[in-house]
Amino acid sequence: MNLRNWLVHLYPRAWRDRYGDEFEALLEECLHTPLDVLDIFLGALDAQLELSHESNWRLMNMNNKLRTTILIVFTAYIAFIIAGFSLVTFADDSPLVPLMQTNAALSAAWTTIEVGSVIALLAVVIGGAPLAWTIIRRALTSQRKDLRLLLVPLYAFLALMLYTAFMVAAAFEWIHIPGLQPVVQNGVMPLANRLFMTGEILVFILGAVASTFAVWKVVSRSEVGQETLPLPGKPTIRLYEFAFGPALVATCAMLVMFAATIVWGWLAFSARPDLFSGNMGPLMSSTRASFAFTLILMGLSSGAACFGLARGRSAQNHS
Amino acid sequence: MKLTDYGRFSDPALLILSSLAEGPKHGYAMMSDIETMTGIRLGPGTLYGALTRLEKAGLIQALPAESRRRPYRLTAEGITALREQLKLLQKIAATGLKWLPTE
Repeated sequence: MNLRNWLVHLYPRAWRDRYGDEFEALLEECLHTPLDVLDIFLGALDAQLELSHESNWRLMNMNNKLRTTILIVFTAYIAFIIAGFSLVTFADDSPLVPLMQTNAALSAAWTTIEVGSVIALLAVVIGGAPLAWTIIRRALTSQRKDLRLLLVPLYAFLALMLYTAFMVAAAFEWIHIPGLQPVVQNGVMPLANRLFMTGEILVFILGAVASTFAVWKVVSRSEVGQETLPLPGKPTIRLYEFAFGPALVATCAMLVMFAATIVWGWLAFSARPDLFSGNMGPLMSSTRASFAFTLILMGLSSGAACFGLARGRSAQNHS
Repeated sequence: MKLTDYGRFSDPALLILSSLAEGPKHGYAMMSDIETMTGIRLGPGTLYGALTRLEKAGLIQALPAESRRRPYRLTAEGITALREQLKLLQKIAATGLKWLPTE
């Protein structure tokens, strides 16, 4: 931590959240003499004494923490989706599908995962839509250039669609790729197929990471927070406070899906342990390793979402 | 709220508002402007102490950041407060000058 950074950290956190960046930029240009340092000491003391006790500063602090909560839950949700795709990859078109038709408990666990994914998606859309709309509207009126970052998810989606279309064209042999086999036989995937599939997984993961980063950047730079949402028959509620409810629902859905995946895996392993010694994971990777990766990623993302929610709840209680 | 309510920050507040009367400026531009205009160099802590209070009182408004610098502009309330204060100072200056013995 350099001197400028240290001086900025003398100010209360709520003040830093609002002015820290621009104040540090100012110090890069005008921190020349010990008198300047003394002046900053006095300014920080004044801010500590005067500002940190005021209700609007506490409110700003709460909004910042709630914003971080929403972003953490959103990021956790994206990571959970990646884990979910890994799960679907080895469950889809595998001998586990007919097994689920005969095994009621296995089928119930899978249905729980499916219902959980729909609930989580709805929660993310319901919580995120008013925020996204307000941020875009404000960014358009203030002509923020970083609004272009919101095109990243669109580009990522288009890239995935184009790659998928390319794969379909190759699978139907509309285009010829040397070494690529339209149908993989005997569980042996040729190198060309492996590279092709790796490409799609990379496009998907990179797209998800880039989109999450772009959304995080736009939202964290946005000054949305005091805007309210009129709800019929209820007092107005601030946007981040409103989004907290759906974030809670999405987190609960993730936890339920995580638990259901453990149960599903245990039931599937009990019924057909031989399937878990095969290579049904993405790119015909080890089923066990793939399932372990899925569980670890699901567990980590659910844990991160719970941490974010606890942080947000604590901010609400202290405001 | 009147500018005199800002206590030790009232002078910097007046200087900042006067600087912003010319148009939106970020912190460093305000400091340079005030130094050129009056010969007074506001320290960074003093400048941001006054900016914080002025923004909170609604006399100035932050604009979207340009890189890491954030410009500020006067609000309608800020223009009114500045005008009142400058008129008062003008009246004091005129009276003081009138009462002073001629050189």
